[in-house]
Amino acid sequence: MLAAVLVLNFLLFRMMPGDPVASIIDPNFSPEAKAALSRMYGLDKSLPVQFLLYVKSTLTFDFGISFLTGRPVLDELRSRLPNTVFLLGTSLLISSFLGTWLGMAAALRRGSLLEKGVLWSGAVSFSFPSFFVQLLLLMAFASALPLFPLRGTLSVPPPPGGWALAGDYLWHMALPVFSLSLLGFGGWALYVRNLMVKILGEDFILLARARGLPRKNIVWRHAFRTLLPPLLTIFLLSLPGIVSGAVITETVFSLHGVGRFLLEAVTGHDYPAAGASFFLLALLTIGANLLSDLLYGITDPRVRLDRGGRG
Amino acid sequence: MSALLKRWSFWSLLALVFIAIFGNRFFAAPPEAEVAASFSKPLWLDRSLPPTREITLTPEEPSVTLEWAYPPPAAFSLRTDLPESAAGLSVVWRRPDGSELTLAPLKKGLEVDGRDMAFKRALGLTPFGDAAGALFPGSGRYEVSVKGEGPWKGSVKIRLEGGRWGLLGTDQRGRDIAALFVAGVRVSLLVGIFATLIATFLGTSVGLLAGYAGGWTDSLLMRLVDLLLSIPLLPVLMALAAFWGKGLWQLILILSVFSWMGTARTIRALTLTLRDVPYIEGLRGLGAPSGYILRRHLLPETLPVLLATMTLGVPGAILSEAGLSFLGLSDPRVISWGRMLHEAQSFGAFTSGAWWMLLPPGLGIAFLCLIFLDLGKFLEERADPRLLSGGKP
Amino acid sequence: MISVEKLSITYKRQSARERGSVKALREVSLSVEKGQIAALAGESGSGKSSLLMAIPGLLPPGTEVTGRILLDGTDLLTLSEEELNRLRWRKIALIPQGAMNSFTPVLTVGRHVEEVLSVHLGLTGRAAAERIDSLFTLAGLEGTLAGRYPHELSGGQKQRAAIALALACDPDYLLCDEPTTALDVITQKGVMDTLKRLAEEKGLGLLLVSHDLPLAASVASRIFILKDGLLVEEGTPRDLITNPQSVHTAALVNALLELEEES
Repeated sequence: MLAAVLVLNFLLFRMMPGDPVASIIDPNFSPEAKAALSRMYGLDKSLPVQFLLYVKSTLTFDFGISFLTGRPVLDELRSRLPNTVFLLGTSLLISSFLGTWLGMAAALRRGSLLEKGVLWSGAVSFSFPSFFVQLLLLMAFASALPLFPLRGTLSVPPPPGGWALAGDYLWHMALPVFSLSLLGFGGWALYVRNLMVKILGEDFILLARARGLPRKNIVWRHAFRTLLPPLLTIFLLSLPGIVSGAVITETVFSLHGVGRFLLEAVTGHDYPAAGASFFLLALLTIGANLLSDLLYGITDPRVRLDRGGRG
Repeated sequence: MSALLKRWSFWSLLALVFIAIFGNRFFAAPPEAEVAASFSKPLWLDRSLPPTREITLTPEEPSVTLEWAYPPPAAFSLRTDLPESAAGLSVVWRRPDGSELTLAPLKKGLEVDGRDMAFKRALGLTPFGDAAGALFPGSGRYEVSVKGEGPWKGSVKIRLEGGRWGLLGTDQRGRDIAALFVAGVRVSLLVGIFATLIATFLGTSVGLLAGYAGGWTDSLLMRLVDLLLSIPLLPVLMALAAFWGKGLWQLILILSVFSWMGTARTIRALTLTLRDVPYIEGLRGLGAPSGYILRRHLLPETLPVLLATMTLGVPGAILSEAGLSFLGLSDPRVISWGRMLHEAQSFGAFTSGAWWMLLPPGLGIAFLCLIFLDLGKFLEERADPRLLSGGKP
Repeated sequence: MISVEKLSITYKRQSARERGSVKALREVSLSVEKGQIAALAGESGSGKSSLLMAIPGLLPPGTEVTGRILLDGTDLLTLSEEELNRLRWRKIALIPQGAMNSFTPVLTVGRHVEEVLSVHLGLTGRAAAERIDSLFTLAGLEGTLAGRYPHELSGGQKQRAAIALALACDPDYLLCDEPTTALDVITQKGVMDTLKRLAEEKGLGLLLVSHDLPLAASVASRIFILKDGLLVEEGTPRDLITNPQSVHTAALVNALLELEEES
């Protein structure tokens, strides 16, 4: 998995048409200076050697110097990663909890207004572009009604003091997190509702009712526990899309995050920076992937048995 | 078939296709043309603002009156389109109180702008005076006419830049948003349909191959699918779009190369269930070549499901294209809904509060996606339910 | 005594494509007493499963049910869900069809038993564990199997676990829906013998639904035969063979006798 990401990354950002060095230097540079720069980025070696050098440096998190900012890429990423993780983590938590709850409620009240709402919000989250919804939110709550800041992660200059700083941060992150949660929740609720409807139609739920169990036992112990493993699968499948969402959200709200860094790097032909941010985002996906794999094993006894040897 | 005719989505799609093909004929100017002042509001909005007007005076119609109930227009300009100058004739402006101002003589190739010094002086204003304000002191009936002795040919055009224009207003460059919107339908439909077609073709080939061949071919292909499914799509697309080219067809190709995996999975699962159906086994027993079985029997059997997954895949492609365009990674010369939103964000739709720049493209994308979702659901219901359950994870 | 009086069941179909109603049962009356095994036989689709599910009130919502279902004098059809929950499993337990996935896949079979013990009898901890152990032994299973998940048990083991679960709260009546289909002949016999022993020892009233007439006749003291939602026959196994009331039963019995002679 990691190997595949490395190869793809190399292909994407190193074997691009055109001379990467050409984008950062003045056309008036002397050929000697150009060659020196090429040597600095290792571009004078053969491709396989370049690849090996690249693998080595990537795995040691030595991403080189950004063409655009002239600072080490690692430093740039280090200052941005927490924001991206916070943005994705919080909105994911909110949307999955809210979505699961509403999806289950909708499945338990078939034909209700709530169920119709969930079905609609699912359709909306599959058809409305995220940036459109975010732009509308910005226009409504930051421009027309200036309740929230238009852009940025912190005020300039940032307020002094720990609590004021944290408050300022949350104030800036409120709209981005809210919008991502809003967009994620519809699809999530729809999935949960569909799964739950299927589970509630299963024999074992009917038999749990035959045993005279209270409703909350049936819903939580029998239905919800059965729902968890497939829910995790969906979670896993939705991760790449969520990471993609970070690029757009950070761009719309001008947040100091990895996604927007990637966009800037890509449009500015800053190969080291683009490659490193892509690698980091892919790593984030892989990490979350492993985590949900692990959780899957815990929640589903059928899997636990199959994988007894592994974990 | 008759059930299809009852779906709103079918008719909406038909209407949009019609707009995509014939839509630009309803506009006098191409969508790139700058037709009015930047950020003009739609005509139906904020009726206290003056609309943009163009008045043409000809020998047949040498005088035009206009009712004015607005503040002065943002700009004023006059252009003559004459085969030759006509001495003794001039364009005269009459205000509601009856006072008259001579705007310009009827000279060949004359272009006058309200901001020109000479024009201001001719009106008796200081260099810092406001010509439009002087021409429109209040509301009432104004008249502009060619006056004087002698014949003339050609026309005189007077343009009053207002704050309102067209059905949907204008963008930051003064382009007609309605025309841009119509141009965007075409791109979204083109990208959505072609990217999905190519992706479906790829996915079907891979799925049929994996399902029918089995063994290591199958496991290799499925590993590839798993891999591609777990990589964040947008960053890859961004890199490809930025480095390999931004053209529409490149974009379609890039999108389809990275969105065939779902179809491949579905088709593989279907092929697996169908492969062991007795009559297929019988065909194999009779010595029918694999290619023949695949083409003549497995493919037709999977067709209804294929159609449904294909239709359901279109919104994904449309949204991806819109996302890339929104990030500014599309060809700036190609007008698309995503591009319109990109420009709305980067060129100050917020500071000018121009929400009419956001709504048409955004709602357009959403509406188009909803259409395909509904059609896909319709096709899914029609497809063999046995096959569908086999195709879902 | 469970006594069903003039019970009619009509299912309402309300899917996108079809709309209509299906009469599954028409004015059927029958009764089971404590300590007695009654069998309900009939082809598939004759309405026997519907009748069985109607007793503990488990028909899908919107189904039209008329008549009366009396449990020791109380009409179950007039009870609310909460009132029914108090009777379910404590008075009337159910052994589902072997082919049904009757256990929640993510819980151990022991956990299922533990849950009903704590909900209905307030038993937890050691007391519950001991009871689970004795129940499993009673059903002919090793106590250690309680820690297994449903998918880790064989069909026969699962069926026995279902019996243990059904007996957990000492019910007065047991409703068995084809308890032995999907099982091989030897296991079938074992399960049937266990059920019969329980009825005799514990004084349970057993209503056994089966499409297998010989099997039903071998254990039941009273047999009811349903056809197309109508009760066409009622009597002891002996009555049925010697003096069938309907053409249908006569044909059925004749077919069986021919089979016997051949073998």
